[in-house]
Amino acid sequence: MPEWLNILIRSAGAFALTLFLVRLMGKRQTSRLTFFDLVTVIVIGVTAAAFSLNLVKNPAGGLIALAVWTLFPALIYVLAIKYKAVRDIVQGRETVLINHGKVLEDKLMEARMTPEDLLSQLRKKNVFNFADVEFAVLEPTGEVSVLLRKEKQPVTAKTLNMDVGRESAPQTVILDGIIMDEPLAAMGLNRKWLHTELEKAGVAPENVFIAQVDSTGQIYLDLFDDAIQVPRPKTKDLVLATLKKCQADCELYALGTQRPEAGEVYGRCAGTLSEVIDEIGPLLKS
Amino acid sequence: MTVAAQVKQTLAGLKGAQAALEAFASIEENPEAKFVLSRNADRLKQVIGDLHRRVGVLEYEEPQYKGF
Repeated sequence: MPEWLNILIRSAGAFALTLFLVRLMGKRQTSRLTFFDLVTVIVIGVTAAAFSLNLVKNPAGGLIALAVWTLFPALIYVLAIKYKAVRDIVQGRETVLINHGKVLEDKLMEARMTPEDLLSQLRKKNVFNFADVEFAVLEPTGEVSVLLRKEKQPVTAKTLNMDVGRESAPQTVILDGIIMDEPLAAMGLNRKWLHTELEKAGVAPENVFIAQVDSTGQIYLDLFDDAIQVPRPKTKDLVLATLKKCQADCELYALGTQRPEAGEVYGRCAGTLSEVIDEIGPLLKS
Repeated sequence: MTVAAQVKQTLAGLKGAQAALEAFASIEENPEAKFVLSRNADRLKQVIGDLHRRVGVLEYEEPQYKGF
């Protein structure tokens, strides 16, 4: 057998085998490799390469090495899921680098990190001033996770004490021009409703690339023909504006009327309407 | 425009808004949001009732402007 044919057969075999064995190891994200994962992957790679290039004298030896280096990690991962002690050894533990805003030098030493490393990792997290950090942890994958001090954290609706609408995820009802019946049915809608809505927007169904329906039945469209401007749904804004107008009208009538009993009715209406606007405003803001 | 006509216009606007809220409430899946929407639709219904009675009084006072 010529040398090149030998290498071809070995390479093909090694390729198929590694593909299969790596699948056995399970789905672990390559972006989150621990040190142990890295070593395993390198050994498997080198063994497979040596095997396929005929650097190993004994083919069986190469196969055994490959099998051991894939099956052992697979086994250890299974054990790691079951026992915390194994997990700590295999995947490493996180190291607290900054606690209560103070850098822990001995922990830094333990993780073999220089102060420059720490600062550069913090900068990667958009933290340029270490005094902004309340708590930072070195993950087993070598990444630093940062918790900023309360006053440096980005504002959320909660910190601003704002009431925001509770919105469920929109359903995609048309993809690439094809109507998806399942999401439509999940929202309790049907094709007829969709056609009516598309007609309202003045769009032919076959021209729609993506259509999404939000929780209140508003439809958002993207067309194949990008020259056409699709109107954004305004029903929610319109309802809110109408309510506000009616509330102002009622207050106006209450001021204008000369009969006290009519004034009372209008005043009550204006009061109820402003309560309604307060409660429903967050839901109607898009 | 007479007062009666103005109140009728407001009433029509409110009816539209109330119908839209009910439509939102029927489609909404989040139970909390659904509850808020339908409760406020009911409140609007009360307001509509109040204004309706008011229109009745106004029409009684100014029968020449009766009808929408």
